[in-house]
Amino acid sequence: MRELMRLVKLFNPYRRWMLGGLALACATILANFGLMVLSGWFLAATALVGLASYAAQNAFNFFTPAAAVRFFATLRVGSRYAERLVTHEATFRLLAALRVWFYERLEPLAPAALQSYRAADLLSRIVADIDTLSLFYLRVYVPLLTALIAGLLMAGFFAIFSWPAAVALLVGLALTGGGAPLLSAWAGAQAGRAAVRESAALRATYIDAVQGMGELLTYGAAPAMLARAAAGNERLIGAQAHLARLSGASMAVAGLVTNYTLLLVTLAASAKLAAGHLAAADLPLLALGTAAAFEAVAPLPAAFQYLGQIREAARRIFALADSPLAVAPPGMPAPVPQGYALVLENVSLRYAPDAPWALRDVTLTLPEGSHTGITGPTGAGKSSLINLLLRFNEFQAGEVRFGGHDLRAFGSADMSRFVTVISQRSYLFHTTIRDNLLLADGTASVEQLWHALEVAQLADFVRAMPKGLDTMVGEGGAKLSGGQARRIALARAVLRPTPWLILDEPTEGLDMITERDFLRDLAPLLQGRGVLCITHRRAPLALMRRVYKLAQGRLACHAKLT
Amino acid sequence: MAKAARIDTRLMQEGRRGNGALNASIGLGLVSGWAVIAQAVCLAQIVNGLSIRHGTLAGQAPWFYALAALFLFRAALAYAAEIAAFRAASGIKTRLRGALLAHLFARGPLAAAGEASADIAATLLEGVEALEPYFSRYMPQMALCVAVPLAILALVFPLDLYSGLILLIAGPLVPLFMVFVGYRAEAINQRQWDKLLRLSTHFLDVLQGLTTLKLFGRARDEIAIATRISDDYRRTTMAGLRVAFLTSAVLEFFASLAIALVAVLFGARLLHGHIDFYRAFLVLLLAPEYFVPLRGLSVHYHARMTAIAAARRMFDVLDAPAPPQGSLILPRQPYIGITYTELSFSYDGVKVLDRLNADFPAGKITAIAGASGAGKTSLARLLLKFSVPDSGHIILNGAHDLKDLAAEAWWPMLAWVPQNPRLFHGTIAENLRLGRPGATLEALRVAAARARALDFIEALPDGFETRVGDGGAGLSGGQIQRIALARAWLRDAPLLIMDEATANLDEASESEILDVLVELAEGRTIVLIAHRLAVAARADQVLVLQHGRVVEAGPPAVLLAGNGPYRALAEAHGEVPCAS
Repeated sequence: MRELMRLVKLFNPYRRWMLGGLALACATILANFGLMVLSGWFLAATALVGLASYAAQNAFNFFTPAAAVRFFATLRVGSRYAERLVTHEATFRLLAALRVWFYERLEPLAPAALQSYRAADLLSRIVADIDTLSLFYLRVYVPLLTALIAGLLMAGFFAIFSWPAAVALLVGLALTGGGAPLLSAWAGAQAGRAAVRESAALRATYIDAVQGMGELLTYGAAPAMLARAAAGNERLIGAQAHLARLSGASMAVAGLVTNYTLLLVTLAASAKLAAGHLAAADLPLLALGTAAAFEAVAPLPAAFQYLGQIREAARRIFALADSPLAVAPPGMPAPVPQGYALVLENVSLRYAPDAPWALRDVTLTLPEGSHTGITGPTGAGKSSLINLLLRFNEFQAGEVRFGGHDLRAFGSADMSRFVTVISQRSYLFHTTIRDNLLLADGTASVEQLWHALEVAQLADFVRAMPKGLDTMVGEGGAKLSGGQARRIALARAVLRPTPWLILDEPTEGLDMITERDFLRDLAPLLQGRGVLCITHRRAPLALMRRVYKLAQGRLACHAKLT
Repeated sequence: MAKAARIDTRLMQEGRRGNGALNASIGLGLVSGWAVIAQAVCLAQIVNGLSIRHGTLAGQAPWFYALAALFLFRAALAYAAEIAAFRAASGIKTRLRGALLAHLFARGPLAAAGEASADIAATLLEGVEALEPYFSRYMPQMALCVAVPLAILALVFPLDLYSGLILLIAGPLVPLFMVFVGYRAEAINQRQWDKLLRLSTHFLDVLQGLTTLKLFGRARDEIAIATRISDDYRRTTMAGLRVAFLTSAVLEFFASLAIALVAVLFGARLLHGHIDFYRAFLVLLLAPEYFVPLRGLSVHYHARMTAIAAARRMFDVLDAPAPPQGSLILPRQPYIGITYTELSFSYDGVKVLDRLNADFPAGKITAIAGASGAGKTSLARLLLKFSVPDSGHIILNGAHDLKDLAAEAWWPMLAWVPQNPRLFHGTIAENLRLGRPGATLEALRVAAARARALDFIEALPDGFETRVGDGGAGLSGGQIQRIALARAWLRDAPLLIMDEATANLDEASESEILDVLVELAEGRTIVLIAHRLAVAARADQVLVLQHGRVVEAGPPAVLLAGNGPYRALAEAHGEVPCAS
């Protein structure tokens, strides 16, 4: 329930849309109820008058009820159409709001808190869970409140004619709309969770299969992967079958209760009629009214099923959104740095209180405009040093100063204004080369983009493509070679003359000719800005003035390579 | 629309394969629909007997009992119909998912390379799921739509001609109008489905690149983009829904108006005693039931449109041809020698290999060197049978053309380590056993030790049972590479193809692994795609590729002493010995 309250609170800015949809939904139900009740009474009343004297026929007001019948018929059509438009419009607005909210929560958590989440899993979470959450209004909120409001009003109307009939209707509505589905929702909660889980697992399997197809085929593992996918599908179908059985039983029971309520109301009214306490025309009124009243609770079984899924999705989304921040954001705007020198004194960093130190007592001065190389084997703490400087991870001991201020006064967004990173992991978005470059500088002109590509030695390649700058790079840059992808990262750095440039294994995966050319063209870019180059290869270090060696989190002085 | 109809036909073919579960669910629905008519007759008898004829409650008892029994009967039918419908739909879903994935594998890894894997996964999951309402709701409803209204008409006409005519006219107007508006709704729906896929692709993309976005200080900008995409999605979807809702509003309009008209006309005639109450009340009870199946149709018509849009994507995948496969089954060859003769190959319309001749002698290490884009990767892809050459031949052991060979017979003879190896969800041990499911732990340890992976694997808390995540999350690039190397060696194949397989290793580890490679070469043919000359230097021979052709071939030491392209490469690498 706590999750649902939080969800409703998130939706608060849209409450006008939400209440408007609810009012229209009630009007629709009541209009149909009015149409059927009035028609039933009208037929019986006219039939009874028809059997009576001619004078009675003349005295009977035919036109008011006839007009009211047509009024209810028209009202129902109009309000139903408006209700659907309003509720769906509201749902999409809620969906957009949820996505933005979630992204805003997620963004500061990256990359530290996200490392344990798999990409395919995240996709499932965001697309499916957020979609599920946005259905809360349409599938739960509106049907539940409509059933409650309209149900009470209709039972109140029945009470004018017969208390037992009103009670029977109210109990019938409650059992059909509340009892049967709640029971099956309770029974189906686990199956609902299983269905969401199995669906996410199956998606991960499919992504494995598609992305690893070459290896699966050549290693003869394709049949095993097909079998794994088939087994995953069976598990998903199994969870869905459980839900289908429950919904079938719930539907059958609900139908049964509805019909027996009709039977009870008819019996109650018949008894009162036989005893002479009820007008004859009121029996068909109540009978037809009962049938119409159940329209209000028809969507409730689905609503309760959604409720289970929504709570599951909400729990996961909120859990992720509430993950602790790796770095506490600075309380006030970042100070203006006095110069760009970076000074580390006895700095230690680890990723968890029980994890080994990734950096231990590191003391390092990086004067403004200096060119420093850090070398060392894999796992020596080179990446941790970058994460520390970019404010992605917090250091636990020592002091770091940037431009004369404590580094803790800067958030990762502040640091990104001063630092550009060229990395093996620089991500290429599934869009055009142009958009991937504009990421570095949204205001760059076409000439600037081409200049950046020239410097990055990619211009010839892009020019040769039929679509030029508008060539799509494929998922994760799949349509480019490793070298070409790196050069896009270089071109981005050209577009972004920040005081610091961090080269994170800049030539990893490049052949040596390309590496040589890459470094040759990189060299002029380094002039006038500070450079921190982290690599285990020798060639990039030749561009650095000082080189340190990092091993097991500790920094050792290292002779300048010549 | 002709295309949508064709997809309908194909979907119904799928439905017919469902072993009658679909027919059962349709049949159960029909019986239930007819039971409603019987129920209305009972109720009309009761009300007429009590209200108009002033009969006693006891006199109506048989009708009450009949009604109670009918209600029970319908509850049982409803349950059975639901189960049958689910069975029908799930059988179809299972079959389609299997067929789609199998066909993707038949088309090979290059066919899928152009599409985002999230798109494909969404087609297999949500796309197939979108078919469920088509089979479990829309198709049974189609049958009800014809059978129930006809039965009601057959009952109403003898009772009252006017009401029969009103229903007869109002009924067909509904589907007619729906078809009329439906065409446009369908086009809009297709767009919406594409958007949904783009939306999910976009979000995965943004999340994977979130760190890069933050590095550029652009992460906050994505909020505006996400908002814009969501708004676009809302607008197009609402455009589709407005039309869909209009069809159901029209339906409601006809239904409500017909009921009101029936009621008012009866009222006028009842007032003057021209007709008896029983008939009027029975018709009034049946009139809403007449429209119930039609109303359901409008609800499920939307499901049909979604299903057709999803099915179109699926049939596109299924209809794309798989590359031609050879059928020759060859026993495992103890030695493999390969000769490329006059081989040409284009990828995406660009000529990559141009009448290339090359020789990979059995039991030797052959390295392929050359700048990026020289055709190194394509050369390997052809050898892996992921692509088919435009012309020329790849000859195996001087006797068999590779294109005649069945891939299933060829792949067991080789092990491949790609540039970016994929680790699958599961344990490290499962990943190592990919090509040899029965391998013992001892065999895994030996292979891991050879690939210099044993130390780090055993340092992990769960050792070989450590679970690796998406794309090897939690492991470094070098560690993934070592696991992939161990996996290849465990395969124990006569041909080993390595595509820049030591790229993510530091120089010391690379050197260690190359030593092992030389050991392993004994009796094996090794094809190395080399970025670094340290790799090429260990080879028995080097082929230097330029513009899709071999421009130089020979032992690395000989080439280095010469003055050709290899020498130029080596100089660029700064790896020329001091003497020079």
